[in-house]
Amino acid sequence: MTALLSVQRVTKVFGGLTAVDAVNLDIAEQSITSLIGPNGAGKTTLFNCLTGLHRPEVGEILFDGDTLIGLRPDEITDRGVARTYQNIRLFGRMTALENVLVGQHLRLHASHWSAVLRTTRQQVEEREAREFARELLDFVGLHGREEVVSTNLPYGDQRLLEVARALGSRPRLLLLDEPAAGMNPSETERMMELVHRLRDEKGVTVFLIEHDMKVVMSISESVAVLDYGEKIAEGTPEEVRANARVIEAYLGPDVAVQETAGTASS
Amino acid sequence: MPLQTATGAVRTGLVAFGFLGYLILIGIPAKLGGPALPVLALVAALFFWLILRRESAGLSAVGTGPVPASLERKAGWEIGPQSASDASSVRERLPYQLSQSVLLKGLLAGATLGILIAVVSGIAAAAMGNGIAIQPVFDKIVPINVAALIGVSPGQIPQAEVPFFRYLLQVLFFTGAGLLASLAAAAGRSGLTHAAPIAKLSEQVSGPTIASASRYAGIALPFVLLAYIGWLGLPGVSAFGSNEGTVRLLFTLVATGSGLFAWRLSLPGRERSIVAVLLGLGVLTLPFILDQFQNSVMGLVFIFVMMGLGLNIVVGYAGLLDLGYVAFFAIGAYTYAFLSAPFSSPYISNLLNILGISPETPLLGYWTALPVAMLTAAIGGILLGIPVLRLRGDYLAIVTLGFGEIIRLFMLNLGELTNGPRGILEISQPNLFGLSPATVTSGLLSSQGWTFFVALISSALVAFVAIRLNSSRLGRAWFAMQEDEDVAEATGVHLVRTKLLAFAIGATFAGMAGQLYAARQINIFPENFSLFVSIDALALIIVGGIGSPAGIVLGALALKGLPEVLRGVDEYRIVAFAALLVIMMIVRPAGILPSARRRIQLADPVEAGLDSTAEPVEETDLVEQTGTSKQTANGQEEAK
Repeated sequence: MTALLSVQRVTKVFGGLTAVDAVNLDIAEQSITSLIGPNGAGKTTLFNCLTGLHRPEVGEILFDGDTLIGLRPDEITDRGVARTYQNIRLFGRMTALENVLVGQHLRLHASHWSAVLRTTRQQVEEREAREFARELLDFVGLHGREEVVSTNLPYGDQRLLEVARALGSRPRLLLLDEPAAGMNPSETERMMELVHRLRDEKGVTVFLIEHDMKVVMSISESVAVLDYGEKIAEGTPEEVRANARVIEAYLGPDVAVQETAGTASS
Repeated sequence: MPLQTATGAVRTGLVAFGFLGYLILIGIPAKLGGPALPVLALVAALFFWLILRRESAGLSAVGTGPVPASLERKAGWEIGPQSASDASSVRERLPYQLSQSVLLKGLLAGATLGILIAVVSGIAAAAMGNGIAIQPVFDKIVPINVAALIGVSPGQIPQAEVPFFRYLLQVLFFTGAGLLASLAAAAGRSGLTHAAPIAKLSEQVSGPTIASASRYAGIALPFVLLAYIGWLGLPGVSAFGSNEGTVRLLFTLVATGSGLFAWRLSLPGRERSIVAVLLGLGVLTLPFILDQFQNSVMGLVFIFVMMGLGLNIVVGYAGLLDLGYVAFFAIGAYTYAFLSAPFSSPYISNLLNILGISPETPLLGYWTALPVAMLTAAIGGILLGIPVLRLRGDYLAIVTLGFGEIIRLFMLNLGELTNGPRGILEISQPNLFGLSPATVTSGLLSSQGWTFFVALISSALVAFVAIRLNSSRLGRAWFAMQEDEDVAEATGVHLVRTKLLAFAIGATFAGMAGQLYAARQINIFPENFSLFVSIDALALIIVGGIGSPAGIVLGALALKGLPEVLRGVDEYRIVAFAALLVIMMIVRPAGILPSARRRIQLADPVEAGLDSTAEPVEETDLVEQTGTSKQTANGQEEAK
């Protein structure tokens, strides 16, 4: 299988701190890959590099064979990369439906003149956009919440809405930044199921950051581990779980010596 | 009664005293004459009602859960258990306590106000009776006003022996006002909770028939007022003596404003379109029936409506605080001025002479110059937009402020081009199919009437474009950008294009307004385009309700129209508006007719507060209920 996303020697430096240090990573099409690592390991920075919020000093990011370096965030979204945020960043005063409609912004092409004149074409496009937004909300499990203002949604639903908004741009690669953070077990369960359905039903490649090891181990096909900006391990969940450097990064060097093949639970 | 309620009530009374004291100071009682006291009491009641209603809104929202059956039966005054710990008893308790505290608060606030006014008018009357001159500047205003307030005609002041009962009457009147306000506030809210007897009463009284009757009355109001304005304009009718012109203007402002409320009161669908068409026709007749003065004021009001709608795109929709908006207004005005009166500009007349064109005649007419003025302003908008693309918030405000001043200083100092402070003179008025509007309408439409008419049509057009754009994907992108610029960009919004479009469209509207302003003024000078124009435009959208076109019309009526009504008390006009703005922001922080989104934002703190105090188990439940009850409450507010 060819790599959909290929990260090559990407380095991002903030002043004296190397947040991401020469990371190489390949993500196969239609896979579910997790990125784990202790706090401050550079996971979100890597995501920001991928989505154009940061520009890496060194390295190359190829998406479907084309470089993403130097593109604006909206251009990267246009290529088919969408994301959610660690601390939820919805458009708070907009309704759930409107949030997803903003997500579709790139895929709507009616001119502003046609919006003033309400031409048939523009009306049809708007109607279809609304239908698609409803579909997406149904898909993530927010049926009936279309008109709720997003800040009034329960926490778990806000996370789901972020996914729906990201899906609005019809992405091929979806980056989820700690999708299950702060969720209770049943919400986490729902989110895991959603990640599977994203891949199986929508054909979206999922790349996620997650701290909950239960989630990581059960849904990922491959796992990459970052520590102090460096990639220290990569492989199937089982391989990563047994990796000595990973255990060291998570539990400290002493423990790593004692537990040769222990479980790396957070 | 909790001490908190008492101090709150006294404070409310003091604020009301400040407000009424201001009204007295600007001479309202003297203008009203005999009925001064009851009218002021009504004003006070309205003021109290607005404050109390807001308080009862915040509190009763908690109590609007499913009302326990027991509560429905024992509607009365008894206060529930003081130490209620579980959520259901909180619900049971609050409505009772609420209506009682609101009632007490109204009474106490009214009494405070009444006593203060009685004491002050007593002191003033005593001072006047003894021939003590108060400050010279107040001398011409205070005596007759105080006299009117205590029911004495101005001529009698020096000898007036004011009986004690007149002061008592003042206290009673204002206490009554407080009571009235609290009853209205409590009834309006607790109707949902079946809490107090008043609620029962109001429910019985305002059944569906009355409610729909009052709705129709609200819809009919602007038409009645328009008819009255027309009647006032008939020859030989004189209702208010020397004040007639201003009174008619006041009615025009109220009629236009109430038209917006009538439109909101009408049911969406056929009724609304009928109301809209009739209102449109009604307002369009105004330029024909008003006199030159009233037309000129209304023309200015609607020029500012255009400005407000344009600035609203930048500030209200896209969230970019622009304090230099006057620049585009000036660009539009000067562009038309150059095209219409090239002889006023030394540079342009030289240029035209060299080219062999006579600078004595206008280069373009009003309508052919319109696209040019709009385009020039739009280019100005883009030129401002490019350097400030990366700026946000305060920094953006400062840079735009500077831009506005730069344009004004250009106009002032580019003497060769703009004729400097001597200005551009003899700008031509817009015509009607090549003829002067007065000839076409056989004298019915004066020059100012025509300006008003053009301003009305242009405002309608601008509002139409603004509303349509806002409900399209561009509007969503603007709003997303306002909410979170980075996320909007990552979600796929092209920030540069979207921002520049906001600046350009906003500037275009200001250019249109500026052109009409130039035509209205005939002569324009750099001083016409000072910072205060920007501030006026910003103030009117804040007062009216950011993001809400109807609110902007109301804001323009209030901020540009009302001062003209108060011309008679010129020196206090500015104080009036400072006070009005402060009161507005306390009473209706989201503006007179806020947009739905703005309401959501300002409702947040209340909800957050409820969220943290509510029982954890009931939390989401409660928040949802408050959300919905808030929506219905807002619906009711609009209905009023």
